[in-house]
Amino acid sequence: MSDAASVEATILDILSETLDESVGDLRSHRVLAAYEWDSITSLLSLAQLESQFGVTLDLRSYHAARTVDDLVSLIVNHTSQGVPR
Amino acid sequence: MAEDMSERRALLDLLRAAVRDGRAPEPAIRGALAGVDDPVLMRKAGTVLAGLPPDTTGLPTMRIAVLATFTVGPFEQLLRAAMVGAGALPAIATAGYRALDLTLATGGFGDPFGDGGDPDLVACLLDESYFLPGDWNAVDAAGLAASIEQRFGDLRGLVVSSLRRSAATMVLHTVPLPAEVLDTHLSLRARAAVARAWHELNAALLGLAAQHRQVVVVDLAGALADGPYSARDHRLHRYADMPYTDGALLVLANEIRRVAQARAGLSRKVLALDLDNTLWGGVLGEAGAHGVQLGGLYPGNCYQQLQRTVARLREQGVILVLTSKNDASLVAKALAQHPEALLRPDAFSVTAVNWSAKAENLRAAAASLGLPTQAFVFMDDSAFERGHVGEELPEVAVVAADGDPAYLVRSLLRHGWFDVLELTETDLRRPALYRSRALREDFSTGFGSSQDYLRALRVEVVAERVTGFGVARVAQLAARTNQFNLTGRRYDEAATAAMSTDPDHLVASFSVSDRFGDEGVVGALWVDRGGQVWRVLNAVLSCRVLGRGVELAMVAWLAGKAMAANATALRGEYVRSAKNGVAGGFWEGAGFTATGSAGVFELDLNGTPYLAPKWIRLLERSGVPT
Repeated sequence: MSDAASVEATILDILSETLDESVGDLRSHRVLAAYEWDSITSLLSLAQLESQFGVTLDLRSYHAARTVDDLVSLIVNHTSQGVPR
Repeated sequence: MAEDMSERRALLDLLRAAVRDGRAPEPAIRGALAGVDDPVLMRKAGTVLAGLPPDTTGLPTMRIAVLATFTVGPFEQLLRAAMVGAGALPAIATAGYRALDLTLATGGFGDPFGDGGDPDLVACLLDESYFLPGDWNAVDAAGLAASIEQRFGDLRGLVVSSLRRSAATMVLHTVPLPAEVLDTHLSLRARAAVARAWHELNAALLGLAAQHRQVVVVDLAGALADGPYSARDHRLHRYADMPYTDGALLVLANEIRRVAQARAGLSRKVLALDLDNTLWGGVLGEAGAHGVQLGGLYPGNCYQQLQRTVARLREQGVILVLTSKNDASLVAKALAQHPEALLRPDAFSVTAVNWSAKAENLRAAAASLGLPTQAFVFMDDSAFERGHVGEELPEVAVVAADGDPAYLVRSLLRHGWFDVLELTETDLRRPALYRSRALREDFSTGFGSSQDYLRALRVEVVAERVTGFGVARVAQLAARTNQFNLTGRRYDEAATAAMSTDPDHLVASFSVSDRFGDEGVVGALWVDRGGQVWRVLNAVLSCRVLGRGVELAMVAWLAGKAMAANATALRGEYVRSAKNGVAGGFWEGAGFTATGSAGVFELDLNGTPYLAPKWIRLLERSGVPT
């Protein structure tokens, strides 16, 4: 599995839990606004993403993410830059 | 600790199953939850546990109102998970955003549960914003200090007046000051003055507990300084008015959980302690009293500090039980005479030094003290012993004493098992009320009650003919093993090497592993196989693995070899020494019968295979013909 694919699988797992949606749904409909992606669920997801990937994200880029793919590239770029926590 | 992903999932699944059935999670699951220090996992657990019905059997309920000066984020979930871990089910009502002032001022805490009833506990969560003015003059440190003092006065007034109308216990906490407030003051003198004003604020907060019986104040600022998490997340502070990280909120939730636990009467009263590698470093039976690590430099100082801490717990009413698989007379002598020991034999209300299962000893100690096992905390370095006690007596709180001994004191204290709101006269007199008594007998139940546990352990014993590489290890084992050493004949490296290549002799080593890990080579046999009757010259087994039937597996392996070689019998000897009492009944226990001469036992090999205990998988490392 490529890096991006394994990052995506983990992100989908986390979102599936925080948004209470199936991984399959999230995989086929990738726009976060289609779900209850509000300030509470997005911060809940942030805590889990940061803990799972060992990263600290810039909140501006995080809130700019509109789709699952945006989140994947945010994490992949962040981890590949090796930004310390 | 449930750190590993699959363990985390398993813990959450067990909690979900309990919630689905509307029942309390089992004590063992609650114990695992109490050991979690990952805020993400605790937050998830708290979310799951919100589904438990309020009248769940087996979990005393507690009504907690949460008032805060900031966005509390996941605090409610963290507190719920921590409380269930401690054996209580909270009903938590969180007041609206920043509603602390208003709720305290209007009385009744805003009827948080909608039934006009009091909460049991009111948690007031504070951050610096409550005490700092909206703006301040950086060249007037005295003015800032005066504002802080005035805001504290406002808070004290609200706390005192709200408690007049309620029987609730109110919990407040000290508040960490953000570095940016201090660093804004460029003059070091002014910075020190502001820091002092803040410390005076925290001292005044702590002082509320001395002035008002209904108030408990916990030291969050101190706990954060000593904890693994950073206190603040600047992003979430600016974005969502969440000044504290989830980790800091977990620290606060645990501090409040400790108050709730003490208020609900869930405090433990008895501390049962292992000896070897817990109260001192090393194994008494192998190293002798002079050889154990206690006092002096690291690591001996860690064990002495643990003894000192335990002595302090005893002074505050905690009853001590000593539970050790050891020779009782050696232990009594070492405890009485070791110059660095701080816990002498009379410190222990019950001394259970014997070779019985520790769960049996704890049961007997509880009966002898007239206290329930729910009042017990058990501390041991062996995952095997902890696992067994956890399985047999899940209500006993278990503390791990393995790993770096520098953490021993922290591990014992961090959960707050013995916390009480106030020490009573009875607490102070308690240890004296429970006169020292000893449990020396080996319980007749033996391993009977433990077979399920042993089976679940997946014990694997690997037998191996000793050749060149194994000689040194086996000779070392012979030199160091005093307790399970049947004849005391210590074959050194040269003698062992000679026997290992002689066709009339056989030297075998035995390694043990189980689900807790690999113990390596722990047993050995030296055998004269020159005649029809094979003679066991000596058998040794490290006392680390006693109680798992490994010695029987060793006999089974040897009997198999002997039968294959058409031997008619196995002969074993027992030569008593000062330390090998534990092995006294070994040969007869293994099915041998006494012969005419003292200390000599035989097993007829009449064609019936001799089987290893059924919970042990007996293997042989191949490559060497036997």
